[in-house]
Amino acid sequence: MSPDSPLPIDVRAEMRSAAAWLADGGAAPNGRAVTSDLTIDEALLLHSIGWEPVELVFGVSVTSVPVGVWTWGRGEIGAASDAHNLAVHTAAERLGRECAKAGGHGVVGVQVSVEVNPHHVDVHLVGTAVRPVEGKKPGQTFVSDLSARDFVLLSNAGWSPLGLSFGASFIYAPRRDAATAIRQSSQNIELTNLTEALYSARESAMERMQASGLAMSAQGVVGVRITEGPMRFARHVIGFTAWGTAVRLVADNHVYLKPDMVLPLDDAVVQFEAQSLRGR
Amino acid sequence: MTGPGDLPEAATRRLESGSFSSGLTVPDFGACLQMGLRPVGLVQGFCAMQWSWYGAGSPYMRGTSPYGTSDGGQGAYSQSWRCPHGLVSAEHRAWGQNYEQTWVESAWLQGFGSAYGRLIEEAKEVGAHGIIGVTDTSHNLADMNVTEFHMLGTAVVVEDAPAPPGGDPWSTYLAGQRLAKLIEAGFMPISVIAGIASVRVWAYCMTEYLMEGRVGTYGWGGATSTQEIEQVSEGHLAARALAREHVRRQLGSDMLHGVSITTAEREVGSGDQVLECTLRGTRVRRFKGFDPMPTPRPTVRLS
Repeated sequence: MSPDSPLPIDVRAEMRSAAAWLADGGAAPNGRAVTSDLTIDEALLLHSIGWEPVELVFGVSVTSVPVGVWTWGRGEIGAASDAHNLAVHTAAERLGRECAKAGGHGVVGVQVSVEVNPHHVDVHLVGTAVRPVEGKKPGQTFVSDLSARDFVLLSNAGWSPLGLSFGASFIYAPRRDAATAIRQSSQNIELTNLTEALYSARESAMERMQASGLAMSAQGVVGVRITEGPMRFARHVIGFTAWGTAVRLVADNHVYLKPDMVLPLDDAVVQFEAQSLRGR
Repeated sequence: MTGPGDLPEAATRRLESGSFSSGLTVPDFGACLQMGLRPVGLVQGFCAMQWSWYGAGSPYMRGTSPYGTSDGGQGAYSQSWRCPHGLVSAEHRAWGQNYEQTWVESAWLQGFGSAYGRLIEEAKEVGAHGIIGVTDTSHNLADMNVTEFHMLGTAVVVEDAPAPPGGDPWSTYLAGQRLAKLIEAGFMPISVIAGIASVRVWAYCMTEYLMEGRVGTYGWGGATSTQEIEQVSEGHLAARALAREHVRRQLGSDMLHGVSITTAEREVGSGDQVLECTLRGTRVRRFKGFDPMPTPRPTVRLS
């Protein structure tokens, strides 16, 4: 539908014309094939701001954690935090390189998978490289875990994603002395050693995430996600990770999107998928 | 069953019975009729494949040379690493290798391809123009080393449209409104496509030590801080890039839409792994020029 055309598309006629076109040979386009993990809604949204998918891109890094670092100690486990940061930065850098190689201007909808194991940290990033349809000159390639919908909203509001911001910290929860442990065993009481470890890990991780955003000249980080709690293989260690997309205002001012209020009159509908035929 | 053209007699009878079956949900069924697609049958394809990891075609062991690239067949991915320590002992892993297990990929593709071919065969039998809402699964059968490939979809006829070229129906993982939006956006589904890559990581000493944390103060290698485990990272990247390349080969210059990616890691020894990556999606082709939709109107629900 062109922006000037208020008429809805006759999908039946479109389907018939597409089938007839295919029956007539359906000539394939020239150029390079495109791969994308975007849904049709996301692809359409991207098209609405003049962008298109180019290539499915990957970034992976596995880094080592020396043996013995998770045993009892004091303060932060620097080796684990370093391994996490190295893995994340290397994987994100590879993702950006793949995007640039494919001719993309940025990567959207990055699926972030971070697994901290006793001896290695695994980071896997998967996303779709995108570019403007009208061949604009690429700026700096960005990597973002925002969905295509969020990317479109952000762009319409005058902001631009710059890259993934990450921070992590792993802190030993200090041991209580024996007398304190015995005294507290029959009390409902805050365990300040654990609370303090949580705060300490939080501060270090958030500070690192913000510092990595500032290094990209970002004004802030949106869509921040966090994980926190004791490590499954070392319950005396509190881990805290935080990541999100670093953004910067590129328009003169933030553009208010002025959403319309809608009041749905339909009942909530239970959605089905074809997979439900398999009893799932 | 050995190939196309040999549907069981009962299946042929059922498909010719005159009534239709459909795997579509009611909303998808409604959208399908709205688009002028008439469901004609729930079609399926099966294939049970024996899975012998080190069967015919495999080199059984790792390559015979740290310099060679012949392990997975001609043009297959292979990369090797050499020990930095010099002669240590006979047990020391002096070199390591990542290589593509082409025989595993071929077996998987044979299973997937046979199931898909049989799905298409059933759809042709009922005179369908296309198959929508395709789902595919592969899983082990009971305790045997056998994998079942199962594909399922709803065969449809496009009202008042000519048959596809050669009578071969098109296919898509999409159905209902998602398919309607694809058509509205100017894309016609061509076929579902899947590709797999299997990479074997045969660790050398440094990979083994690093995966066990035995580098630095407590182990070999001389490094005192964290470092990237290059061989494993390269293996993961290779598995993903190869799977993407395999689907690209089937794409021509078309677009692969809505790719889903699944990965699997299987540890087979100290630092040794099998890494697999599967990509699947719908191959689509533009049947009309790029025509961006109007900027969507943002709304807030009051509920």
